[in-house]
Amino acid sequence: MATRKKVLLKVIILGDSGVGKTSLMNQYVNKKFSASYKATIGADFLTKEVLVDDRIVTMQLWDTAGQERFQSLGVAFYRGADCCVLVYDVNNSKSFETLDSWRDEFLIQASPMDPESFPFVVIGNKIDVEDSKRAISNKRAQMFCQQKGGVPYFETSAKEAINVEQAFEVIARQALAQEEAGDFNSDFPETIPINLESSNNGCAC
Amino acid sequence: MANPLSPSIPPSPPSPSASFYDMSDDEEGDYNTIMHTRTGKGVKLLYSKSKVYVHPTPSAKDNIPGFIALIQQKSSSLAPTSPSTEARPTSASSSKSVASTSLLLAWVPESALGDAYDTYVKVDLSDSSSPPRQSYLVPEPPTSTTTHSSLGTYAFAVPVSEIYSLLVRPPSLGWWFGSVVINTRAGDSFPALFFHDSECESTILQRKKLARESFDPFSDGGGMFWGGDEVLRWLKRYVNIERSGAEPSIYLVEPTADDKLNFGGKPTTEKVRKSLEEENKNTPSKKRDGGMDPITKTLKEARWNFLEKLSQVTTFTRRTAQAVAENQNLPPQVRRLMHNPQVQTLQDEFDSARIYLARWAMGIAEQSERERMNRIWTAKDVLEMEDSAVGEFEILELEAGNLSLSERRKPVTLTEWNGWFDEHTGRLQITPDEVKERIFHGGLDPEDGVRKEAWLFLLEVFNWDSSKDERAAALNSRRDEYIRLKGAWWERQIEGNSTPEQAEYMRDQKSRIEKDVHRTDRTIALFAGEDTPHPDPDSPFADVGTNVHLEQMKDMLLTYNEYNKDLGYVQGMSDLLAPIYAVMQDDAVAFWGFEKFMERMERNFLRDQSGMRLQLLTLDHLVQLLDPALYLHLQKLDSTNFFFFFRMLLVWYKREFEWNNVLHLWEVLWTDYLSSNFHLFVALAILERHRDVIMEHLRGFDEVLKYVNELSNTIDLQTTLIRAEALFRRFQRTVEAIDKKGNFPAPNLRQRKPISATSSSDSVPKASASGADTGAGPASSSGSASGGAASGSGSGSGTAAQTKQQQQQQNKGKQTQGGQGQGAADAKPKEKVISPELRQLLSRKVEKLDKKEVRAHGGGVGT
Ligand SMILES: Nc1nc2c(ncn2[C@@H]2O[C@H](COP(=O)(O)OP(=O)(O)OP(=O)(O)O)[C@@H](O)[C@H]2O)c(=O)[nH]1
Ligand SMILES: [Mg+2]
Repeated sequence: MATRKKVLLKVIILGDSGVGKTSLMNQYVNKKFSASYKATIGADFLTKEVLVDDRIVTMQLWDTAGQERFQSLGVAFYRGADCCVLVYDVNNSKSFETLDSWRDEFLIQASPMDPESFPFVVIGNKIDVEDSKRAISNKRAQMFCQQKGGVPYFETSAKEAINVEQAFEVIARQALAQEEAGDFNSDFPETIPINLESSNNGCAC
Repeated sequence: MANPLSPSIPPSPPSPSASFYDMSDDEEGDYNTIMHTRTGKGVKLLYSKSKVYVHPTPSAKDNIPGFIALIQQKSSSLAPTSPSTEARPTSASSSKSVASTSLLLAWVPESALGDAYDTYVKVDLSDSSSPPRQSYLVPEPPTSTTTHSSLGTYAFAVPVSEIYSLLVRPPSLGWWFGSVVINTRAGDSFPALFFHDSECESTILQRKKLARESFDPFSDGGGMFWGGDEVLRWLKRYVNIERSGAEPSIYLVEPTADDKLNFGGKPTTEKVRKSLEEENKNTPSKKRDGGMDPITKTLKEARWNFLEKLSQVTTFTRRTAQAVAENQNLPPQVRRLMHNPQVQTLQDEFDSARIYLARWAMGIAEQSERERMNRIWTAKDVLEMEDSAVGEFEILELEAGNLSLSERRKPVTLTEWNGWFDEHTGRLQITPDEVKERIFHGGLDPEDGVRKEAWLFLLEVFNWDSSKDERAAALNSRRDEYIRLKGAWWERQIEGNSTPEQAEYMRDQKSRIEKDVHRTDRTIALFAGEDTPHPDPDSPFADVGTNVHLEQMKDMLLTYNEYNKDLGYVQGMSDLLAPIYAVMQDDAVAFWGFEKFMERMERNFLRDQSGMRLQLLTLDHLVQLLDPALYLHLQKLDSTNFFFFFRMLLVWYKREFEWNNVLHLWEVLWTDYLSSNFHLFVALAILERHRDVIMEHLRGFDEVLKYVNELSNTIDLQTTLIRAEALFRRFQRTVEAIDKKGNFPAPNLRQRKPISATSSSDSVPKASASGADTGAGPASSSGSASGGAASGSGSGSGTAAQTKQQQQQQNKGKQTQGGQGQGAADAKPKEKVISPELRQLLSRKVEKLDKKEVRAHGGGVGT
């Protein structure tokens, strides 16, 4: 069965503990919100097949624990990411202020080939909560995203399923674009380690 | 049986009397067996649902969209002119009501509908919550009761009276679509129909409507409403549908008393096994009136059940399925099932997830193992065991001791416990080790309250040699101390006499704790309630409500912050506290139990993660030593960071076992009876249990992680504990053997202390532990591989791979400290030693950190 190569897009979801990463992912993949998700410990992922234009792609969405203390272990799954989603809670200014460090941490650990052009998407979650609790205005978040080179920005509610589909559609597109760009020159870095390994083997024998 | 999914077009079939779909263009060549004849006669389209797909090949691009529909024929259209009607066995249908014989359940591809398409869409979108008011006529689809007559198009229409059962799988957890498989009374099954709910407008509307009406988008079953629910709803209006008690995904259509009996009560695997065994012995099976005997029927259901599982997954290859079929752990019956030609074809058809399949196979193996465990061991069993994974045959040795298995593994009751203490002084009359041995093997009675007392000893809130009075006094002073600690932060908060930094820190900690407490064990009755208004109207949880136990949990965790200032609250702590609080149901007592528990767990929560790294590294060494073949495989998968055990090790399997088993496991671990790190042997036992599956099926870090994460709630605690003990004994013997050999140097302490803050590349293994071939015994199937891991070319290439990785990291300039020294050490020839990390496992003493160390490792303040 000659079919086109299967596309797997790896997406990493980051942000402070409790901003709703697990909830967003489950809302998108399972169309469900449950108030009793447990705090994420370690990492897990969900997959979803989506249609981007005429292509069926599989998105692998990685969910990690939000507490900073666990981030140093992230390196194992950051590698090979095609898109990084930064989530904050619009009612919690601290979670917004840490976005920058999440972004930096990701770039350090995932070390993408071209950090400048690596796609990020920012999501401000929990917009269903009453206006009086809102801490970060849409405008402020927009400005932040502008400064970061025009990062797409979405305001969502994982609870009420507002804007979640839309955000992930853009995430999928960004990831696919990155994947295709990456494919272009992926032969090169792979050949070097192979040579290195075989020459080492030669020595050992 | 013909393969319903074969892409080849069968020879021209008998022309169905009333098929007349318009073929719109050449693309529909596949469907050229459908006749164009118009008879002018129509059938009533009662209900239809769009975007129901057949998945004929591995590739999603070959999926065929269509409609599932319930159609009412005029009685006259059941005229015997239809060839397929003639072919139908009449005996089964004779007892059916007129209504169900005139009803057809059909699936038609969109492309074959022609003009009727609009009508199908209209019916789909019309309100289906009540019987249809208006009648829509559509051309009659070709009737067929077997997959033979599906005309190579997958299209079918089966009289409802001919349906024996429906296998219904709701969509689940991001992995697959919901599906329905129709099984006929003649024993045939139609291809699985997949409900692409997110494309189906009517399902989307129905969900919205449900959400509007009841604020609850979920169906009665508790799952999200989906297309399959709708089909069941249609059918229930006309026929009796009963859900099978034994196999909840099977819905029986107009079941006979016999059917109900067959599907009631006993677990299905058991039944299949029995049926197969009977069949094997050639016992003449009792025939039911109307065709198939129950054995064949059960088999069919089980097979479909299995095939359906295959079809649900997405990266499956034939090779993998073959490997499963050959797996030694599979009972022969299942292996036979797997070799059924149709299963094999399906293996080709579906591109799917090995993880799922692997787990399924594992479930069967687990089941049969449990059965074996309940039997007396025979010499044959021993021989069988020697083939299998590490540690299995020690179980025999262990259980062959003087105490019988059931005696030693009976839980300790309150009566037994009290009997160990002097009536008057309340002092323990037997040795702490004797107590620990009993609890280690049997656990504590979950019902009679013995835990409340015994846990305080195990956690060392009480001294083992204390008297009743001393314990009462200790408890009193602990209570006072708790109140004092709690009062300290409470007062600061009320009186506002803290610095702005303190206040900010407190606010932050409070919100972290609150967020987690509200997400901890809410399914346990104690923590479920939301009936109390929240004390703080500004809290993000103000509008969901709380309960007194959640509030106590928050206070205890905040108080712990006050007590252990350097650590701060870290995620996972609430998980560790909840069981202790639930058992004690007294905040002050639970607090001190938790405080003691934290003494041993603290290092896992340090900011530099040195404790977790050490544990993962120790596990790495342990696997290298005891199962080098598995180790090599994990190395290939880039999985020797053992990150997939992170969750288990951090919260002591809290997410892997159900509540009562967690309590049991913890009390076993608290005994430190064999090792203060026995939880690592539990990890190894779980890993070993799945090692064949991992080695045969899993192809990447992500798959291993997913597989291990999803073991949650599937692990049998009893057998895991037995295996862990066996593994510990094997480890002990291996170490002794290595130490005895003169050519091995003494323990190598040159490198570094067990705890060291290094970069994550530290988890790259050093082959410092090896020599597994010494103690592994001649039966080990991994003999040659184990030699390889210890020395020679195997370890050479492993090192090359690691070095490569490190160099890459260094080239990128991202990984800093730690990595280089390690890389240099790796380049040297291996010394065959037991690493200090491993040697530590032989100790029963709990390593605790003093406060200075907590700070040195980054503590927690401000994180
Ligand atoms: N009101 C509201 N609450 C939400 C929303 N999304 C998540 N929550 C709640 O916020 C809390 C945290 O949600 P999670 O999805 O577990 O957060 P997380 O980012 O995965 O947290 P960590 O796993 O700790 O990193 C839970 O109590 C959720 O019920 C939302 O859109 N609206
Ligand atoms: Mg989470």
